[in-house]
Amino acid sequence: MTAILTSRMVAYPSDSNTIDRYRATGGYEALRKALAMTPEAVHQEVKLSEIRGRGGAFFPAGVMWGFLAPTQPRYLVINGDESEPGTFKDRQLLERDPHQLVEGIIISAYALDCAKAFVYIRGEYPKPARRVQQAVEEAYAAGLLGDDILGSGFSLDVTVHLGGGAYICGEETALLNSLEGKRGEPRIKPPFPAVEGLYAKPTIVNNVETISNVPWIITNGGAAYSAIGPEGSRGSRMFSLSGHIRNPGNYEIVMGMTWRELIYDIGGGIPGDRDLKMWIPGGASAPWFTPERLDDLVTHDDVAAAGSMLGSGAVVVMDDTTCAVKAAHRIVRFFAHESCGQCTPCREGTSWLERMLWRIEHGSGREMDLDLLLDVSDNISPGLRWPPAMTTICPLGPSAVSPITSIMAHFKDEVASHVTEGRCPLDH
Amino acid sequence: MTTEQAAQTVQITINGTEVEVPAGELLIKAAEDAGTYIPRFCWHSRMKPVGMCRQCLVEVEGPRGTMLTTSCTMTVNDGMVVNTESDTVKKAQEGILEFLLINHPLDCPVCDRGGECPLQDQTMAYGPGESRFVEEKRHYEKPIPISELVMLDRERCILCARCTRFSDEISGDPLIEFKERGNNTQVLTFPDEPFRSYFSGNTVQICPVGALTAKPYRFRARPWDLEAVESTCPHCSVGCRISVESSQNQVLRFNGVDNDPTNQGWLCDKGRFGFEYINSTERLETPLIRGEDGELHEASWSEAIDAVADRLGGFKGDEVAGIGGSRNTNEEAYAFGKFLRSVVVTPHIDAQLGDGLAPEFIGGVYPRATIDDLERAKTILLWGPDLKEELPVLYLRVRRAAAELGANLIVIHPRNTGLDDVASHTVRYRPGTGADLIERLVAGTGELADVREALNVGPVVALVGRPGLAEDIRLPEAVAAFARDLPEAMVLPLVRRPNVFGALAMGLAPNLLPGPAEITDADARSRLEEAWGPLPETDGLDATGILEGLASAELGALVLLGADPVADHVDPVLAAEAIGEAGFVVAIDQFLNDSSRLADVVLPAEGFAESEGTVTNVEGRVQKVNRLIPGPGQSRPVWAILDDLARRMGGELGAPSAAALAKEILTLVPSFSAVGWDELDWGSGREGILIEPPLRYLPVAAGITQHAQSGFSLHLAHTLYSDGTLTGSVPAFAGLAPEASVHLNPGDAARLGINGGDLVRVTGDAAVELPAVIDDGLVEGTVYVPAGRREARALGSTLAVAVAKGTVRQLSLEGGGS
Amino acid sequence: MTSWTTDERVTRILGSYPDKRSAVMPLLYVASKEYGYTTSDAMRDVAQLTGLTGAQVQSVASFYTMYKRHGVGTYLVSVCTSISCMLRGGDDVLAAIEDESDTPDGETSDGGLFSVEHVECIGACGGAPAVQVNYELVEGVEPDQARAMCRWLRDGRPDVVLGDEMQELFGGQRSFDWGPKETEGALLPLPAFEPYGTAGEGR
Ligand SMILES: Cc1cc2nc3c(=O)[nH]c(=O)nc-3n(C[C@H](O)[C@H](O)[C@H](O)COP(=O)(O)O)c2cc1C
Ligand code: SF4
Ligand code: FES
Repeated sequence: MTAILTSRMVAYPSDSNTIDRYRATGGYEALRKALAMTPEAVHQEVKLSEIRGRGGAFFPAGVMWGFLAPTQPRYLVINGDESEPGTFKDRQLLERDPHQLVEGIIISAYALDCAKAFVYIRGEYPKPARRVQQAVEEAYAAGLLGDDILGSGFSLDVTVHLGGGAYICGEETALLNSLEGKRGEPRIKPPFPAVEGLYAKPTIVNNVETISNVPWIITNGGAAYSAIGPEGSRGSRMFSLSGHIRNPGNYEIVMGMTWRELIYDIGGGIPGDRDLKMWIPGGASAPWFTPERLDDLVTHDDVAAAGSMLGSGAVVVMDDTTCAVKAAHRIVRFFAHESCGQCTPCREGTSWLERMLWRIEHGSGREMDLDLLLDVSDNISPGLRWPPAMTTICPLGPSAVSPITSIMAHFKDEVASHVTEGRCPLDH
Repeated sequence: MTTEQAAQTVQITINGTEVEVPAGELLIKAAEDAGTYIPRFCWHSRMKPVGMCRQCLVEVEGPRGTMLTTSCTMTVNDGMVVNTESDTVKKAQEGILEFLLINHPLDCPVCDRGGECPLQDQTMAYGPGESRFVEEKRHYEKPIPISELVMLDRERCILCARCTRFSDEISGDPLIEFKERGNNTQVLTFPDEPFRSYFSGNTVQICPVGALTAKPYRFRARPWDLEAVESTCPHCSVGCRISVESSQNQVLRFNGVDNDPTNQGWLCDKGRFGFEYINSTERLETPLIRGEDGELHEASWSEAIDAVADRLGGFKGDEVAGIGGSRNTNEEAYAFGKFLRSVVVTPHIDAQLGDGLAPEFIGGVYPRATIDDLERAKTILLWGPDLKEELPVLYLRVRRAAAELGANLIVIHPRNTGLDDVASHTVRYRPGTGADLIERLVAGTGELADVREALNVGPVVALVGRPGLAEDIRLPEAVAAFARDLPEAMVLPLVRRPNVFGALAMGLAPNLLPGPAEITDADARSRLEEAWGPLPETDGLDATGILEGLASAELGALVLLGADPVADHVDPVLAAEAIGEAGFVVAIDQFLNDSSRLADVVLPAEGFAESEGTVTNVEGRVQKVNRLIPGPGQSRPVWAILDDLARRMGGELGAPSAAALAKEILTLVPSFSAVGWDELDWGSGREGILIEPPLRYLPVAAGITQHAQSGFSLHLAHTLYSDGTLTGSVPAFAGLAPEASVHLNPGDAARLGINGGDLVRVTGDAAVELPAVIDDGLVEGTVYVPAGRREARALGSTLAVAVAKGTVRQLSLEGGGS
Repeated sequence: MTSWTTDERVTRILGSYPDKRSAVMPLLYVASKEYGYTTSDAMRDVAQLTGLTGAQVQSVASFYTMYKRHGVGTYLVSVCTSISCMLRGGDDVLAAIEDESDTPDGETSDGGLFSVEHVECIGACGGAPAVQVNYELVEGVEPDQARAMCRWLRDGRPDVVLGDEMQELFGGQRSFDWGPKETEGALLPLPAFEPYGTAGEGR
């Protein structure tokens, strides 16, 4: 197994987060190497690596960097808001190897000619934020941040910013609004952040995991990175396994294995050897998979072709004791709770759906609710496709529809029997 | 079509039809102008699009197939193919409507908006028949007052953010905001921080449902009962276009009309809610004559006209003087001037009350700016009143220019102003040191170097006026003389009363003839004398001179037209004395105010919304005011009163109607030669007709009063709400005027041992004692006193005042606390 | 306004952003520390520091779940009931905590010792079901352990809430190896994070 991101924390569990350990294991050498290159050359390596964003949208990072408008000031913002249910990979990277991120930030900011970077960490992550803050302070003390880094003439300041409890701030433009001291409401795109981002200045927003890969890419070369994994899904990637699975946790894997291997070999299968009922392949937003997909490949393209996404890399496994309605309700409840409220369909629609599901789950569903669920969903995400068409500004609203289309596609009878029996058929 | 035009338009296809639309336009607007209305709630043409309500979804063909997108956030591109009525669009739009309705109370029958509610209209047209929503609706406390003027019903709110955006983006006082998020999102104020904005009424007007309602209008009428007429706001010289609405001969509402050059749809709350004075029970309904007993008694019109004509006839022409006309229409002002100059034959005429600017400067400054020039200005110099307090909608225009359009704004004032937060430079100076400051600006060194550099980027629009009433009347001219030399400079002189410019154009100034033209202008004289008969040969006295003349008995009689010198003249003590001493005073007015109350005869006049005419705003834009309701009781149009008087005195005004007067003005007043009465109600004429500054007055830096170095300078300046007669008759404004007070800079206060709330004695013309406010926005060496407060009147407006700690009264021992 | 607004930490926070409005969120945390939660006074102070109106600060504060609008107990117990924790019994953990602490979901106990809330995903799904006390995490908590933890908090009243300590005493399955022992914990029902270290302020 190729361990790009996690090798240090595995080898040195007790101090992988410190600057001493980081340096002792080759840390900040990539930075030295990058500073000796031109910014364009650094950018070129990232492009060559073909690494795609690890925050969920899977956009090629090198390409996005190319969109950065040429004006100054410009900003680099690290998205550490990780709040997609099922996802906890960034937390591990922040807590266990913060210097890897900091080095990635410095190299990226150098390539992008940014003098200021922000790390936006979700409010419920004080410990990861402490570890990153400590790393940032160690880096300042070591002359790796601040003015004239390692005598290169390049200067960079980093501020760690703690969120306030709002999933939507993971959406990059909502994050920027939040960082500006505003409500975390997504902005209309275009303009994209690369043109008009933080304080209306050109801004690159990247996920923690994306940027944590940068030191390795510079050390080993972009080509080495793109040599790993199948086309379209290069490099290694952190998957968060949770739910009814024997070995929950984060796994850094190279994409291209089957779901069966991921769930049964790596995840150890279902506790109590119960049957697999369904799983979410890429975070709460993603449409669900059922066991007939177990032999599909875990790549971006294969999952997309099957009408879902790898998203944030969160795999939530559910066994046959799980009530589909209850699971769907829990996820829709999440989106209703996290809707920023600006778009009518999301604000009104998600909580309408949530309340309908709750009624059905608790035995007061009506016959017409089954069609209504789908029709209301259709008014949020016309056509009920994936990737979704949207009547909203951002994909949060349409994401709330995924569990509904999933249960109606795969477990319609189960949903219907909640209505006809007036109770959950799985409660015995 | 020229190539230049072609570059400015693009070709798009809407529902299969190709149309040409302006490049860069938002799709929703382009489609509407091309005849396709796309439903919307959050979009407002005067605010940045937010695309929140999602009602305006349409399908646009793009590289990756057809996409649903909000037309309010999409800019047109050449070749764009749009479908606004496909099944997908219809389903999406109906879906949004259903979402908006699930939590809406549907209480249309008891809602002020019922009958003119976009949500209701949409629902009737496309809405779902029966609700598929069986859950409990959102509940909030029913209408809660969020200010003295505005009520909020959150259950009706559809969260379009129009009100919050208006307050933040347009008026610059974000006091209502969204609170909570998602399904709990609501609009709300902060505890103890009410929505006390001078512009709050606009949010009521633009609210697409009945969530925000105005207390003065609530439950007073249903929209279908309203009669409406377009008109021009009578409250200040900006001349905002309004729709005046009435029911059963009561004016019930003003709404802003979107007029590009002036108000762009907005109004200030004084303008919007001030209409209540029209319906006041205090309005004069019959003529009044002072009897033997010293009291005013009701009289018939013929008795009153006889009395006035007889009394005035007892004086020589130049023993009579006239003050007023700046709150009247052009036609009324013209009739007033003609009456005084050709029937009474006196040169003593003034429309201003010593608080304005030199007439030739107002009427002729050159080169002159329009309000709309602010849209193109790179630099704006504001050295004059705090616009937010005195010319509120001009404040909005300057704010927009600075905040949205990127103009550099330089504000020079003794105190912080409403525009400081969007200004690139603010300079504070002590009243009376203006000449010195101009010199330093000319030099452009030291701490003023930045300011000077900013001023070197044209086009420059200089807004100049008196920052306060104690400031030298010639200061604005000196400022204009400086500003005139800046690159592509244009100057707009600022005066407050609604029709000062028009009154001056009609010759209501001691040194001007209608035109305006100088008294010595031979052409103007001969033209007028041919029509009017012989005119006085010399300049007359201005308002202050007239009052002094009356007080010293050099003058005998005074004709007041809608003017209240006792309340409004810069020297109220002199005004009261003058009116008391005058041999005869007649007041043509709508109210018994502090001056008309002292008159010998009072003639009740029709006022705004009761008689028609034209008015001229601060930039010289002539606009129409229209009649909607009859005046109270026996009140009559001003021109008719003057015509009767003239006839009874053996003269003739030839004024059978306002329209006839307008025609006469058109032929006799050259600057009005293009002002066609009928055009003003139609087409482009509704944007008004701009008259050229007729005098070509090139300001020169005349000597201006410098303040003696010792003591304090007085900064006496108006606030939007005061206790004037008109605002005093508007119940909605009760309690909104700030208390009479003396503001002191913290340093000055400390030196004098004065704390906030202490009594301060300020000695000007006479001494007044008022509570202190410690004001860190005020320049040192200066006391600021809000003008228009009875308690401060005796202070007068001399620049140099003495300030000391007041007599310490032991308030607590006086008991009662009342 | 209390004296906290002139603290050095305030200057530092304001200094770490190109625009002072950005300091609203960190300042709201500091203000909440001073006032116990995000009171009107707290928001008013922040408004003054950042040049905003109270309504603007309230608008921001109320958007986020961690700026509490009401008084919070000494120990804010947040139980995750999102999908992964739900699958692993998060609802039972919540019920156990409500019962043991005698504090219904969303409320504060009589003596002000506990506040209990169910929360959406806190990024501990690999260690489901997960609980936070004053935002310090415990993973793999079973209902009985959760009860024991409540008793421990009530009886021991720790001044500092340490995630490692709670994990050792009451936790089970973790999302990943937590690495070195942490000595830092929470003193208040607010996230224990100081954004105003030595890093880059004043630039
Ligand atoms: C509703 C929503 C929530 C999101 N949450 C996160 C998140 O928690 N973390 C993250 O890195 N990206 C998140 N994203 C994706 C970001 O918008 C953005 O694509 C990403 O930060 C870009 O970085 P990357 O290209 O490195 O992935 C979210 C997107 C949406 C629409
Ligand atoms: S879809 Fe929902 S979360 Fe996204 S912007 Fe619209 S209201 Fe906000
Ligand atoms: S009008 Fe376009 S989204 Fe509201």
